[in-house]
Amino acid sequence: MDEDLMDVIVCPLDKSELELSVEAREDDEIVDGTLTCTECGETYPIEEGIPNLLPPDMRDAE
Amino acid sequence: MADPSRRSVRATYDRIGTHFAKTRAHPWPAVEAFLADRDPVERALDAGCGNGRHAELLAGIADTTICLDASLAMLATAAERGVGPLVAGDIARLPLGAGTIDLAVSIATVHHLPERSGRIAALDDLARVLAPEGRALVSVWSTAHDRFDASADDQSGMDTTVDWTLPDDTVVERFYHVYSPREFDRDLADAAVRVLDRFDEAGNCWAVIGPSDES
Repeated sequence: MDEDLMDVIVCPLDKSELELSVEAREDDEIVDGTLTCTECGETYPIEEGIPNLLPPDMRDAE
Repeated sequence: MADPSRRSVRATYDRIGTHFAKTRAHPWPAVEAFLADRDPVERALDAGCGNGRHAELLAGIADTTICLDASLAMLATAAERGVGPLVAGDIARLPLGAGTIDLAVSIATVHHLPERSGRIAALDDLARVLAPEGRALVSVWSTAHDRFDASADDQSGMDTTVDWTLPDDTVVERFYHVYSPREFDRDLADAAVRVLDRFDEAGNCWAVIGPSDES
């Protein structure tokens, strides 16, 4: 994930800003990390460079 | 009928994604027509990008093309095409700020949402993320399609499932709400969108929408 994407993405639940915490970078790409909603505190993972901003009720398989 | 929850729709595409992507190689003509002669824009969105066949067209017009899908398996096939940035998300609850998108498409995606409220929320949210002059092309499957017995003049569409057969002969059901053209008109009227164009073509209902507060 390119850090520029932070200008656009928000929490899917309340559309508030997200806070980025980076666990791993490769070159300029964030490959592993967490996005935390500054309003509701919900967390969203960045895995293999893709931010998973599915709401919690859609995130896991049945 | 398969469990028509949003989570299960996402899980279906996680299961069939790789095989499905191979059979969906080419962009649809109505999308090519919508994007022809467009001025360059800063940021585009493909909401329900699947394997990225339409995102590839957007990428020729926009500096950045956000490719959003609920299925990580579909996003993996989009990654193979080299499109992106990729974002996993729900089209009825878009994780994008208001007014951030100049040009968007949502092709054959809204009809996978099982409830009318969700489908209207998806239309609302697409308009919400559009910039003041932003435009989005939306398509849903229509009862006018040859494969259905229903009449195109019906007031309402129908819920159905369509089987997908994997190479190992496993059959996976996919949920669809097939729209009647009149019903699509009603959903657009009830959504917070401005309808700039509306047509029926190739067995699908189409609309070009803009933000609702545009003057």
